[in-house]
Amino acid sequence: MAKTLSRRDFLKLGAVAAGGLAVGKFIPPQVAQAARLAGHLNAAGDGYIPSMCEMCVWRCGLLAKVRNGRVVKLDGNPEHPHSRGNLCTRGQAGLMNTYDPDRVLTPLIRVGARGEGLFRKASWDEALDLTASHMLSIKQNYGPEAMVFSSTHNLSQVQFENLLYAFGSPNYGTQRSLCFNSMITAFLMTYGIEEPERNYDNVEFILLVGRNLMEAISTSETSQLSQALDRGAKLVYLDPRYTKTASKSAEWIPIRPGTDSAFLLAMIHVIVMNELADCDFVRQYVVGCDDIQEAMRSYTPAWAEQKTGVPAATIERVAREYAAAKHNALAHPGWRTSNFVNSFQTERALATLNALSGNVLTAGGCLSADVSSESAGLGAPPQPPYPRISALRLDGTPWKYPLVPLKLGVFQELRDAILTGEPYQAHGWFISRQNPILALPDRQKTLQAFAKMDFIATVDIILNDTAWYSDVVLPEASYLERYDPLLVLGGKAFIRQPVIEPQGEAKSALWIYKQLGERLGLSDYFQYADEEDYIRQQIAPLGTTLEALKFKGYAEMPSEEGEKEIVFNTPSGKIEIYSETLAKAGFSPWPTWEEPPAPPAGQFYLLTGKVAQATQFGTQNNQLLHKYSDEPRLWMNKDTAKSMGLVNGDWVEVTSAVGKVHIPLYATKAIRPDCVYMTPGYGHLSKGLTTAFGIGASDSVLHVTYTDPISGGQALSQTFVSVKKVPGSTPAPLPKPLYSGE
Amino acid sequence: MTEHKYGFLIDASCCIDCRACLVACSVENNVPMKNTRIWIHDTGVMGEYPNLSRYSAPFHCMHCVDPSCVSACTVGALQQSREGIVIYDQDRCIGCRYCMYACPFEVPNFEWQERLALIIKCDLCTARLDEGGQPACAATCPTRAIQFGRRDEMLNLAYKRIQENPQRYVAHVYGEHENGGTSTFYISPVPFEQLGFPVTGQTESPAHFNRLVTHGTPTVAAGVAIGMAGIYLAIKRQAADNAAAAAEHARPEHKAEEE
Repeated sequence: MAKTLSRRDFLKLGAVAAGGLAVGKFIPPQVAQAARLAGHLNAAGDGYIPSMCEMCVWRCGLLAKVRNGRVVKLDGNPEHPHSRGNLCTRGQAGLMNTYDPDRVLTPLIRVGARGEGLFRKASWDEALDLTASHMLSIKQNYGPEAMVFSSTHNLSQVQFENLLYAFGSPNYGTQRSLCFNSMITAFLMTYGIEEPERNYDNVEFILLVGRNLMEAISTSETSQLSQALDRGAKLVYLDPRYTKTASKSAEWIPIRPGTDSAFLLAMIHVIVMNELADCDFVRQYVVGCDDIQEAMRSYTPAWAEQKTGVPAATIERVAREYAAAKHNALAHPGWRTSNFVNSFQTERALATLNALSGNVLTAGGCLSADVSSESAGLGAPPQPPYPRISALRLDGTPWKYPLVPLKLGVFQELRDAILTGEPYQAHGWFISRQNPILALPDRQKTLQAFAKMDFIATVDIILNDTAWYSDVVLPEASYLERYDPLLVLGGKAFIRQPVIEPQGEAKSALWIYKQLGERLGLSDYFQYADEEDYIRQQIAPLGTTLEALKFKGYAEMPSEEGEKEIVFNTPSGKIEIYSETLAKAGFSPWPTWEEPPAPPAGQFYLLTGKVAQATQFGTQNNQLLHKYSDEPRLWMNKDTAKSMGLVNGDWVEVTSAVGKVHIPLYATKAIRPDCVYMTPGYGHLSKGLTTAFGIGASDSVLHVTYTDPISGGQALSQTFVSVKKVPGSTPAPLPKPLYSGE
Repeated sequence: MTEHKYGFLIDASCCIDCRACLVACSVENNVPMKNTRIWIHDTGVMGEYPNLSRYSAPFHCMHCVDPSCVSACTVGALQQSREGIVIYDQDRCIGCRYCMYACPFEVPNFEWQERLALIIKCDLCTARLDEGGQPACAATCPTRAIQFGRRDEMLNLAYKRIQENPQRYVAHVYGEHENGGTSTFYISPVPFEQLGFPVTGQTESPAHFNRLVTHGTPTVAAGVAIGMAGIYLAIKRQAADNAAAAAEHARPEHKAEEE
């Protein structure tokens, strides 16, 4: 089924990519010429170029080894704080995204039915003209708000947002409500900070609530955690599943899904009732200090035992150990063991626990606020103000979800509003670097929403499921082939720059948005000649040159002088364990317990979670990652499986309220008896993904849409499934994996 | 004179089975998609729910001090460099797979699906060493489970770590004496048999015995070469069947969970 590159093919691909080089021998291509001028490449075209990874959103610095116009190896850049010389599994495999034989290398225009996968090649002019004419006709007939724009966290997103706001649509879909709305909203409400940075330098006690850092890898943080554990720090890990992180913990607590907040509230109870908190810090910086004992009185460990299934004595002991570590204790902010409509309360409780240990923003404390915005201190192209937008947002922010930050939104509700046509009907969808068909819960609904669209255009590097169902596909240059806006991190502005020529006719997002903007009559919003000009305007205040920036891979930002005063960006200027804002919006002002639903008899909690060999829904077609990935299966506790008469490899039918999939079973000790688990990102519909198509099943088919009314987060674990053997099927044998040393 | 300059220290207590080293090796050495120079040895999930444990460690050529594979190779395709690296020369290889049988660690891998099959094996990323770098696997490891440096320093570090944390490790540096000593040292919280490491059962390399056979008189050598050629043809005929059989030979993913 899957087409596999042999070593010889891999080399041939390089020859194709380097073809331009051979033809234009005396006119070196732009990238190589620039790299030579910058001093990265020698006369033969060989050398190392610093840039940034985009295999996930952590954005490690990399050094790309280039030979004859091909990138042949990626290494971590020691000078970048997110890589520190290392790259993770996905980062190492990054060049296979660029050299994926399934790359889309010319603009495509659909000729068959939607989802049939029949496209014809088109020129950029034709594809962009067609896209612009559809967008303009939708704007003319239904207003700009009838165009939906969606894109996932990336460095060019600032220009994507520019396109959206200049066009005049309020309808913006990000992936965040499918991921960490509860964490960001809770920490914004409590600290006035979206996501505090973690500091592992002196940490002695770490509480990870479902933050599977050894598989959901953020290179530097995974590395720091590992070193802290090696040094002797204690890790207590809550997760219904025995993950790789669980295997590194001193204590794995297989907590009942949806009850993390009960565990945490009982910890808070033990700490405040026994006055174990950092009183000086709390008195000075916390709102709610005086009443917290009363507010937490009922959350006893015995009460929490009933909810969580964790013995009261364990909760009491963990709380005391946490408190004893004082400000060297860290309760990691995110994400969760499981996502329920009460996850906002889980995150509020985590924010509270950190405040009580006095570790927030204090010198040497485990949480810091050093999260400068991605572009703070940089220049930007001039532009006129945006048109005033009066239409309601389809996703209910803020008229239905008053506390959800506008830039997060509620993506799943946006999809549902397309289906209902309320409060008005959307007609077009412009998508960039995002895969809503596979990412949103309830795939059938998303496909119906796509079917209601007059026009869909997608920017991507491969035919992911969303591109497969689009009318126009605009091929983006991969992250090794293009510039993006700069990233400010730790006092430096880092550059992503092309290390090889874009293959085929692929173009950068900066170029695509500008070209589209011009055709939409929005030229004034895109006042940059090209990508390099854009970056020159960004570094104008820094007094450096693009050439110097390209050579070093970063530019120094002006340093801030002196000790910073601790200020919390909340209405009171303090940490708001008690939040007046929440009270006014009609929610509990204290972190509180909200009873989550539980599966009826005979059904299971459906858990999902990351693996180290894939990022979300976009890397499953990468052959190097596929080479070393586990085959996706449905995890079930082996005793449960035995009692149901199921064995390893059995084909099972997994059914939820909204969908049904078939997948082989993996019977294991490593999961609670009342849960099953699936790795997300499989079960693709697109036959344009020759490596990933036909593998595994999609969790999105099963996921029921539930939205947390406070944070707008999708309750991804609130789906319950039944499991039975597919009648007449024969067990799928587990092939010996290539990587197994057995 | 061989120097045995380089060494690895691989710590199973730090490995998170992320497989970054596996991918890094594949890219650096342009390893075919269907083959690998490096594996993960894994205990599987051990114990009874909820008291579970699990350990893993990457595994590649141990670069033995007196390598059995080199002594078994009749054509000099496997050689030991002056720095102690076991290097493979594909231009000399006749595909006899004697090295595969000689290696007690089951390291040399064979390109079963290729018509002119070669051996696939770690060469310590010699090109990276020449540039002053580290092997790709060690360079990228995010948890420092793979450390690389001078052989004597790595061995000292192995003992130092065990001495500083006697409760964390079993008192055994795997690779120090196995097969007469290697350049890759492992430390682990569980006995190495549980990790699936070969128990070599000997502390002396059989290389000296192999050499009697493979490096004997020219007559013997010529005879062996002719014999090899015959065996080679026979083996090649079987190779396809073997590959098919190997592919069909289904094994459970985690041995500790075998029912």
